[in-house]
Amino acid sequence: MNDDPMDLRAFDPARDPVRYERAIGRIMDRAALPLAARRARVTTMGQITTWWRPMLALAAALTLAAVGVLTQVRPAVAATDGADAGVAEALGIPTALVTWMGAAETPTAAQVFSALEEAQ
Amino acid sequence: MTATRDLVLRARAGDARAFEDLVRAHYRAAYTTGRALTGNDMDAEDVVQDGFIRALERLDECDPDRFAGWLLTIVRNRAHNIREREQVRTAAAIEDVDPAGPDRADLGTERHEIRRVLEQAMAQLSPVQREILLLHDLEGWRHRDIAESLAMSEVMARQHLFQARKRLRELLPQDDLKEYLP
Repeated sequence: MNDDPMDLRAFDPARDPVRYERAIGRIMDRAALPLAARRARVTTMGQITTWWRPMLALAAALTLAAVGVLTQVRPAVAATDGADAGVAEALGIPTALVTWMGAAETPTAAQVFSALEEAQ
Repeated sequence: MTATRDLVLRARAGDARAFEDLVRAHYRAAYTTGRALTGNDMDAEDVVQDGFIRALERLDECDPDRFAGWLLTIVRNRAHNIREREQVRTAAAIEDVDPAGPDRADLGTERHEIRRVLEQAMAQLSPVQREILLLHDLEGWRHRDIAESLAMSEVMARQHLFQARKRLRELLPQDDLKEYLP
């Protein structure tokens, strides 16, 4: 049985170059819009990618600067701890309780009750 | 990186030149499938055109290394849609359509005759047989690739090809064709 490939070149679409080129041209005409949309999408993503690294670097710099500022400001705030007593008093918290909050030793229950009674 | 893979990746980015190269590289195979399933040139061209545009729209879903098979699946689906539409038309209306369109008159008389004889014979084959025969004998696809594209075993693809050639030779004695083939 002869099972050699058959000559089917008559069905080759490229055998008629004019028709073939016209068919390719029609596809490319229809593809113009979707291709342009893809380019636009890539451009937008590209801009985001371009800006992403500098923005990250700027954010990192700002974070470092903020940490530096906070480190400098914290001692100054600590120096004004005395002001805490004034605020506590304004809120009706006994001065003794505020003192104990900052101290290392823990007051007894009797001392706490005594301080609360004095405040009233 | 394979040429097709590179072209798919560039076309995804909107590179028109890459997409055109992709179209040119795969047009014949897509056309072969469209032609095998629709049975005429005009519908085949429409199916291929729609197939490529659909492929472009969904290019992000495609595995760049399997573009050819993926494209043929799209073309096949479009061809099935066309065939379903054709089924509601009357047979008389179909016969009125010149299968090769207006350009056919430009073809040489001998080529025209070869096509006519081949078309009549090919019409006797099943769509799958036509597709496999054209992909293998015209496009030079390997059995493995055809089988993968058609989601069938390689043995089955070989069997279809064998049956298609056998049937075509019965319908189309080579002595007759030799009068027309170069």
